Amino acid sequence: MTEEKKEIVIKVAGVKKNFIVGEQSIPVLMGIDLEIFRGEFVLLVGPSGCGKSTLLHTIYGLEEPTVGTVFIDDDDIWVKTKDWRANFRNQNIGFIPQQPFWIKSLTVIENIAIPAIITGKTFAEGIEIGAKLIELVGMSEWANHRPYDLSGGQQQRIALARSLLLDPKFIIADEPTGNLDRAAGEKLMQLLLDISEQFNITILMVTHNTDQYKFGTRIVNMVDGKIMSDVVNKGSLTEIKKDKN
Amino acid sequence: MFKIFKKKNIEKTNLGSKVSSNQMRFSAVILIGYRNMSINKLRSFLTVGGVAIGIAIITLLISLGFGIQGMVIREVTSNNPGNIIDVGNNSLENFVIFDKSAIGRIENIEGVKDVEISANIGGKFIIGDSQTDVVVNAISEKYLDLASSNIDLEIKKKLFLNPKSVAITPKLATLLGFENPDDSIGKQVEYSMIIREEMLTNDLEDSKEESQKEDQNKDKVLTIVGIVKDQTKDDAVYAYVPIEEIRMVYGKVAGQSVKVSVKDESMVENTRLQIEQLGFSTESVLDTIADINSFFSVVRIILVAFGVIIMSISAMGMLNTLSVSLLQRTKEVGILKALGAKRRDIFKMFIIEAFLISFLGGTIGIAVGYGIAKLINYIINMIAGKYGVASANFVEIPSIFVISIALFIFILGVVTGLFPALRASKLHALEALRYE
Repeated sequence: MTEEKKEIVIKVAGVKKNFIVGEQSIPVLMGIDLEIFRGEFVLLVGPSGCGKSTLLHTIYGLEEPTVGTVFIDDDDIWVKTKDWRANFRNQNIGFIPQQPFWIKSLTVIENIAIPAIITGKTFAEGIEIGAKLIELVGMSEWANHRPYDLSGGQQQRIALARSLLLDPKFIIADEPTGNLDRAAGEKLMQLLLDISEQFNITILMVTHNTDQYKFGTRIVNMVDGKIMSDVVNKGSLTEIKKDKN
Repeated sequence: MFKIFKKKNIEKTNLGSKVSSNQMRFSAVILIGYRNMSINKLRSFLTVGGVAIGIAIITLLISLGFGIQGMVIREVTSNNPGNIIDVGNNSLENFVIFDKSAIGRIENIEGVKDVEISANIGGKFIIGDSQTDVVVNAISEKYLDLASSNIDLEIKKKLFLNPKSVAITPKLATLLGFENPDDSIGKQVEYSMIIREEMLTNDLEDSKEESQKEDQNKDKVLTIVGIVKDQTKDDAVYAYVPIEEIRMVYGKVAGQSVKVSVKDESMVENTRLQIEQLGFSTESVLDTIADINSFFSVVRIILVAFGVIIMSISAMGMLNTLSVSLLQRTKEVGILKALGAKRRDIFKMFIIEAFLISFLGGTIGIAVGYGIAKLINYIINMIAGKYGVASANFVEIPSIFVISIALFIFILGVVTGLFPALRASKLHALEALRYE
């Protein structure tokens, strides 16, 4: 990696998270330290219940850590207000949840435009940007359909288009291929990789699927709320491409 | 394919992690609310319909209430201008006549424009073998101008053209031997009257003695110039005779009651007070109007109570719809919050939907309610027209009512939308996304 690529985008500093269930305090994250650099495609892997999604949500500004904090571009997001974090998520982070959630009454293209609507733009302005992105994910013909009419794979591509709408610094994806078949999952992963490479967008993604490891430039393995390993993926498609070049 | 990104990425890099504080546009929130209502057509239809029915019933009742009140007041005041005061005796024991000095005292009161007297005198009418007792209303032409009278203009003109004229009721004509009252017109009637001594006034030019003398010598014959139908009583037996004729025959008969016209309606109350201070009793059409208004105020209170019950049911329907809508849209709230929507954005979305429902329901309700009221008015007028009854407008929506309804719709929106909107805005994004 060049020096430029080593620019830290996300820094997780000593994050611990306990969930209170009844009178019990259950530790989920037990001291996470992690630095993610610009342009990386980081795969967060590990068994169910190891705290991957919790960490992702902490970085995304939805789950407040019990101890520690998260810096994004030097901003300590957990000392900021709720509204600041909301605006920050909206304007800087693309989010792809495991299940794509939609505003049922709006069309596909209108749903893609939602981040723009939240930021104060009109539907017309949002749709104008959205039209280019729906083309990017190859779903233009579905623009005026209802999102729930589409297949899981198609919906995730639309979710990807939505996550890109406001030109985010990075994308956070929580098992976006979890509900997809192999082919649809591969297609989405390839799309994510293309976008990451071409636009130098940092991607942090949770996955269970070992077949998808090839897409990640770095693999962070978590077990029981701790990072067990954090390695650069020498066998990633990006590295292979570099080697070929 | 990625052209749109290239320029933007440069801007983004320069931007760092600057965050601008924005909120959803009002137009976008309205569109989302409208779309949500459109997608749940039946539910929206039933909820808007519930509000519309409630508002329509209230509008119908209120517009009829105001309309009928207005119509009654118009009827009452059409022949009784608000600036006329009827002045009479304070009590039966204390018999007062309106002689020159009494009239003078009334005329001196500030605001008084005209004072006209009338006298009701008992007497006898005779035509050939037929004779009957009668009450004679001795009046001046000007008195009739001030009074609510059932004498039409033509008869009035004839009555005062020649003082020796009389207008009689149909029943009186019958008692005088005319099977068809109209046959009596043009016929002459002899009369005699019982004038009480107290009714003859000293302060007019002639003395009582002279009056009595004249009584013996005068020709006591009147020509019937018209039939006057009494609108309240078919068997009324009375006659209108110019007071000039009575005075010519019996001397200076004082008034038993007077009509006072006041320069301006706003001065009526003050003038009445001053007349009453002179020891007379007063009546005004304003009393009747006040009674009518008071009656309709009670009617309105009942209607409002009725309306509140109806609208409570509609409001519960709305609250139910919005609560169900919130439950169904919990995940939508979750994703919107996850994507950066703030509490106020979510609050706006739900409160606007409540406003849309109440606004649509209210607008449709007012239009339908007013339309039905107008239709009822039209049908009744059509039926009345067939029976020769004059048409009347008894449907009115005062602007204050429209303002009240607008305010009510606003309050309905706030009250029913507030709870679901607050609940939605307080939802945590992750909990909302996990909601099943």
